[in-house]
Amino acid sequence: MNILEITGLTKKFGNFIAVDNMSLTVREGEIFGFLGANGAGKSTTINMISSLLRPTSGEIRLLDRDLVKNSRFAKMNLGIVPQDLAIYEMMTAYENVEFFAGLYGLRGVELKDRVLEALEFVGLADKAKSKPQNFSGGMKRRLNIACAIAHKPKLIIMDEPTVGIDPQSRNYILASVRKLNASGCTIIYTSHYMEEVEEICSRIAIVDHGKIIAEGTKEQLTATITDVKDIHIELKTQESILLESLTNIPGVRSAQQEENRLHVYSDATVDNLNRILKQLMDSGAEIRAVEEQEPNLETVFLTLTGRNLRDN
Amino acid sequence: MLNQLFFLVKNSLRRTFRVRANWFLLIGLPIIGILASTLLYSGGQSHLRIGFVNEDGSGYLSKDTLAFVQKLQHVEAYALTREQLRNQLADSKLDMGLIIEQGYSESVMKHQPGHIILQSVKGSQVTSYVKSMLDEYIGNLSSLSKVAAGDSAKFQQLYRSYQQPQFKLISNEVNDSSVNKEMSYQSIGFLILFMLNSASGLSELILKNRENRTYFRIISAPVSAKMYVLSNIIVNMIVMFIQVCVAVFFLTVVFHLDPGLPVLDLMGILTLFGLAAVGLSLVIVAFSRNTAMAGALQNFIITPTCLLAGCFFPLDIMPHSIQRIADFLPQHWVLKSIGALQNGPVGIGIWFNVMMLLAFAVVFFLLASYRFGRNNDTRNFV
Repeated sequence: MNILEITGLTKKFGNFIAVDNMSLTVREGEIFGFLGANGAGKSTTINMISSLLRPTSGEIRLLDRDLVKNSRFAKMNLGIVPQDLAIYEMMTAYENVEFFAGLYGLRGVELKDRVLEALEFVGLADKAKSKPQNFSGGMKRRLNIACAIAHKPKLIIMDEPTVGIDPQSRNYILASVRKLNASGCTIIYTSHYMEEVEEICSRIAIVDHGKIIAEGTKEQLTATITDVKDIHIELKTQESILLESLTNIPGVRSAQQEENRLHVYSDATVDNLNRILKQLMDSGAEIRAVEEQEPNLETVFLTLTGRNLRDN
Repeated sequence: MLNQLFFLVKNSLRRTFRVRANWFLLIGLPIIGILASTLLYSGGQSHLRIGFVNEDGSGYLSKDTLAFVQKLQHVEAYALTREQLRNQLADSKLDMGLIIEQGYSESVMKHQPGHIILQSVKGSQVTSYVKSMLDEYIGNLSSLSKVAAGDSAKFQQLYRSYQQPQFKLISNEVNDSSVNKEMSYQSIGFLILFMLNSASGLSELILKNRENRTYFRIISAPVSAKMYVLSNIIVNMIVMFIQVCVAVFFLTVVFHLDPGLPVLDLMGILTLFGLAAVGLSLVIVAFSRNTAMAGALQNFIITPTCLLAGCFFPLDIMPHSIQRIADFLPQHWVLKSIGALQNGPVGIGIWFNVMMLLAFAVVFFLLASYRFGRNNDTRNFV
């Protein structure tokens, strides 16, 4: 069963079309990855699903009901984990969750139980009486999640929930997402970290210029990419490489460097590996290892949009 | 729906009053304002300090006129030069100045009184008492000169008779409530300033919630933007009403000042002004992108308009053209209403003043609603 159905959704700001005739379905029980560069229309779509923005045209149906006509019903069944922290620094963790859960009509013992349950879920039960101003970035992110789940929504939208936090907190949050999903929640997940999306999402949609340009499982998406090869080159030392010198080589679509590792994306049909390695050696780099990898989501994204997700 | 509204109001009040600084800003400052204005305007209580300059030295009428002024009750008079008078008025060492120019006695004798000037930087509220007494006194002298028809001997005979009346004057002192009224009036002027600042501060919570992103979380819950703004208005009005109650309590019970009008009328007018203040604060918020801009607009609008409306000193001392500007300020209409109620029985005029206040509130709310309604964008918020 589809929990969310978007048909012909369009949002215009004056002459600018932020979302362009988008159609999308999210099935009940899945973790749906929503990928797109900044300005691709991802946040506008999420804002329309959250009833923060009215669509210019098109339809959004949540649990088989029109979202615009049944916004209260939709809001009751929706939980939003915004990218920017949306918590009160001057209120305790308990009071924060209590306030936001109270907006959904929860009161009394039920409210108290739900608040404690949400704090327990994100591992902040022992910090219930502490104020977020004393929390680490990861703890604040977890509180941000607790505020969105206490009213037990059927669909949760998580917008970059792991941005800017330590690996331990990130692992905790990813585990929480899986746990939420296992308990019956459907999740729409956006992230700039492609490996997170690959790890937890059952289906993925890639949005660009306000349109869905690809949709499917990770395997389905990577299977569509046959014309790009992903060359990983490991250098002996961490030195800055002039990436432009690589992208000038015929066939190379883009290159990026992470510490002493280089990712070069190139047309699969062009035999240019020797020229790439020569260019590196000419610039004084010492090469430790070279590997041509199978296409992954990063490759898919690059092929479809011409950009790297993290470059934005 | 009402349940949600009550929940939002309760939580906003809780968040506002859990910050100790807000207790001082919202409740403490108006009390301090009343105390300050009481101290400022109680100087000299019923004694009017008058400096006089007599340039009509040889005329006995000018000497007698000054003697008349000196004998008035609650008056302290000092002989000065013109320059001394000007300096002391500017330094607020005197309440008013009286200048009798060369030719005063002659003008009275000719039944065309002139060459007498009253000066004050404190407005007609201060000069009116002395002016009315002098008008009557000089009017009498002028009448005598008319009867004498230019005959100097006859005038002096009539004048002596006038000075030694054959009837006994019994005088009863009545309470002079003008000073109390003036103190109450100016205290309310300060209260108006604090009410406007408080309303703006509370409406800025909308912008603060936008900046800390909680606003988006609130309206993605089953709470509409309209309900959210309405809850802010209710919280604001509750705080306004508390301020009015506390201020009136301190004015009447603690400082024992008689405002010169029924307490309930005073509270009613101030609460109505509170509505206009909340409306104005929403206009400021609606036209601001962030709290810094709202703060700047607040500074730009509130204090100058309070100044122009007569919240800090009487409007009478300002040029006529500036006084007309006050007609376009809600603060002026609340002070005018209170002044009207202090000065006499209630007529249609007071209802006009009250309707003007209400009209200001309506216009401000409509303007804010229009502006909020155009923000069909999460980048702009409501």
